[in-house]
Amino acid sequence: MTTLPETKVLDDAPSLRDRLGSALFRQEGVLILIGIIALVVLAFGSENFLTVDNLLNQTRFLAEIGLIALPMTYIIITGGIDLSVGAIVGVSAIMLGVSWQNWGLPLELAIVVCILTGVLAGFVNGLFIVRVGVPPLIMTLATLAFYRGLAEGISESRSVRGYPDWFEQLGQGNFLGLPTQLWVLIVFAIVFAIVLARTTFGRSLYAIGNNELGARFSGIPVGRNKIIIYSLSGLMAGIAAWIFVSRTTTTRSDYGSGWELDVIAAVVLGGTSIFGGTGTIIGTMLGIVLIQILKNGLALTGVTSDATIVVIGSVLILSILINNYAGSLFGALTRRLRQTQQNT
Amino acid sequence: MAKKFLSLALILTLLLAAFASFPVAAQDRWDGADDLPVNPLDCPMAEGAEMAATEEAEGEMMMPEYDGGEPVDAPDLAGQDITLVDVPKLIGVGYFAATTQGMQEAAEELGNVSVTTDGPTEANIDDQIAVIDNYITQGVNGILFAANDPVAIAPVLTRALESGIRVVGYDANSTPDARQWFVNQAAFEGVAKSLVDNMAEQIGVDGSFAIVTSTFTTPNQARWIAEMQAYQEKCYPEMTWLETVEAQEDNILSFNQATTLINKYGPDMDGIFGMTSIATPAAAEAVTQAAVCPLASSEGAAASEDDAVVVVGLATPNAMKPYVETQCVERVVLWNPVDLGYAAVYVMRRTIDGEFLPGATEVDAGRLGMLPVVNNSEVLLGPPFVFTAENINDFDF
Repeated sequence: MTTLPETKVLDDAPSLRDRLGSALFRQEGVLILIGIIALVVLAFGSENFLTVDNLLNQTRFLAEIGLIALPMTYIIITGGIDLSVGAIVGVSAIMLGVSWQNWGLPLELAIVVCILTGVLAGFVNGLFIVRVGVPPLIMTLATLAFYRGLAEGISESRSVRGYPDWFEQLGQGNFLGLPTQLWVLIVFAIVFAIVLARTTFGRSLYAIGNNELGARFSGIPVGRNKIIIYSLSGLMAGIAAWIFVSRTTTTRSDYGSGWELDVIAAVVLGGTSIFGGTGTIIGTMLGIVLIQILKNGLALTGVTSDATIVVIGSVLILSILINNYAGSLFGALTRRLRQTQQNT
Repeated sequence: MAKKFLSLALILTLLLAAFASFPVAAQDRWDGADDLPVNPLDCPMAEGAEMAATEEAEGEMMMPEYDGGEPVDAPDLAGQDITLVDVPKLIGVGYFAATTQGMQEAAEELGNVSVTTDGPTEANIDDQIAVIDNYITQGVNGILFAANDPVAIAPVLTRALESGIRVVGYDANSTPDARQWFVNQAAFEGVAKSLVDNMAEQIGVDGSFAIVTSTFTTPNQARWIAEMQAYQEKCYPEMTWLETVEAQEDNILSFNQATTLINKYGPDMDGIFGMTSIATPAAAEAVTQAAVCPLASSEGAAASEDDAVVVVGLATPNAMKPYVETQCVERVVLWNPVDLGYAAVYVMRRTIDGEFLPGATEVDAGRLGMLPVVNNSEVLLGPPFVFTAENINDFDF
């Protein structure tokens, strides 16, 4: 029961060649291909695009969305969704500012309050979804409004400013030559990828997404695991809020508004099925990187930001079309190949 | 299951109850939501208020101590062609289309400036930072901005200055050291003075009024109201301030709040201030529907002197044209965004040409003449602009 199949492979374990082939045709392969094409085209479009400085600088912009996309991948794999992440960023950021400035807590402790706020907000989502049975879409849509309202109410729409220099290092400084928040993202991405691919907990998420009732009867603690992943979502939103406040040196109640859509777009672009059951952390990271490359590269080649959104939307649709088409084509090919092998 | 649901529902109700008691009580003293001191201007003199406003602005400027930033190793581009980018709060709205128009007019006049406007499609500080960052990488000579948040935008603007790019703000400021100059469309005290003066002229120095605003803590509105209170107490002590109500920036809520005020006070209320570009037309609509316009048009008789409610407020001309045409509203106060954009480009050009250096007390802004420097590193566009039936059709935003 520890090894649940990732995809519905009916035959014996696939050979290395099969794996390589399917990997190429999976979403990751498509994304790498589109990414390379984008890099080349955009590099010709602007000489300022393909430089170390620019690319490293861009990682500052994707770190927050990237961190939230990690648990979002888990949640979507189980067939759920979390629309409240942007609002959790808002309320966590506000708690950081308010607990530091209005309650007089030391800034170190205020950071803890910020992250705990995120965890609590995510936990409440999970609790209602599991214990009361509210569908995730409805529950997190409700808390999207609820948490944003809290952020505005607690802050009274005032921003908190004047953070010390050391606090701004996380969002603006460098560590070993890379932007500090990139390290945070890399470490969390590796941990999330290993947990998803190599642990019982991680594999159980696929089982829940493929067949929740089946997973329940197999003895998987479905409810507990769901509460864990929604709490994780809150945790990462809290950390993202901390990084974002550090990067922008101020706290506003509208922080994170609309992020849920950026995050979900990246996760879905990364090949995670919105119906649950499939998805990888690598795919999500590729999705994040591709969207940022496009945003930055198009802007540098002189495309205005309204047109950029249109291009990104088109790429999202295109990549999913390619994926579906290539996926079914490859499936048909292998099936025919197997049949001819069996016949001979 | 039912038990669990019940306890969860109970918790939720308690939470909601706790947050329903947010502090929304009316305030006696308006603190502008930022604890800054108020600074009421002089009362209008017989000759006219506008002179006083400009003189006051210049009078403050005895010793300007420049507190703006400086670009690092900026190339000397005096007199040469320059490329500027304009990053407003958002694109696709009439207001910033008007500032863009002003910028293009200035660029055309100067002949050696090209300006591109690009910005987020929603007034979102996060997206705005990314847009500016990309233009820094792309390499422009100067950045004009209207900040969605004064502090959050500062790091990226500082990065621009460090890359040798000139930075000038307009409409919405950043922290002073993150840009060189800021073109201030209207000082808070100037707007407050203009609103109260225009109201007093219509309802008399002993009239009574109410205010419809967004929220008590919205930065600009709160500051304006604080200045209005100080100015009214100083210059029109006989006026009665009935009530101030919140209406978010919501059309229907603003209309409802204004209607409630009209019904509640009846003949005791002479005027309503609209503090947002949503509240002012909504208040005008409420006055129209209640048939208490001070100067009725052909249709319907004018309300009696007693019942009439005068609307004065901040609003964009397009929203107010219908009410100005029916003469229900006589005056709309705002600044001229075309001039604002125009001035921003001139200030940038003068800065790059080395004609407008730290410590200067005024700057030559083409057709606008010499504009005074206020608050150390801000260029004041002048007194607010009053739209009336004569000029409102010259504007389209």
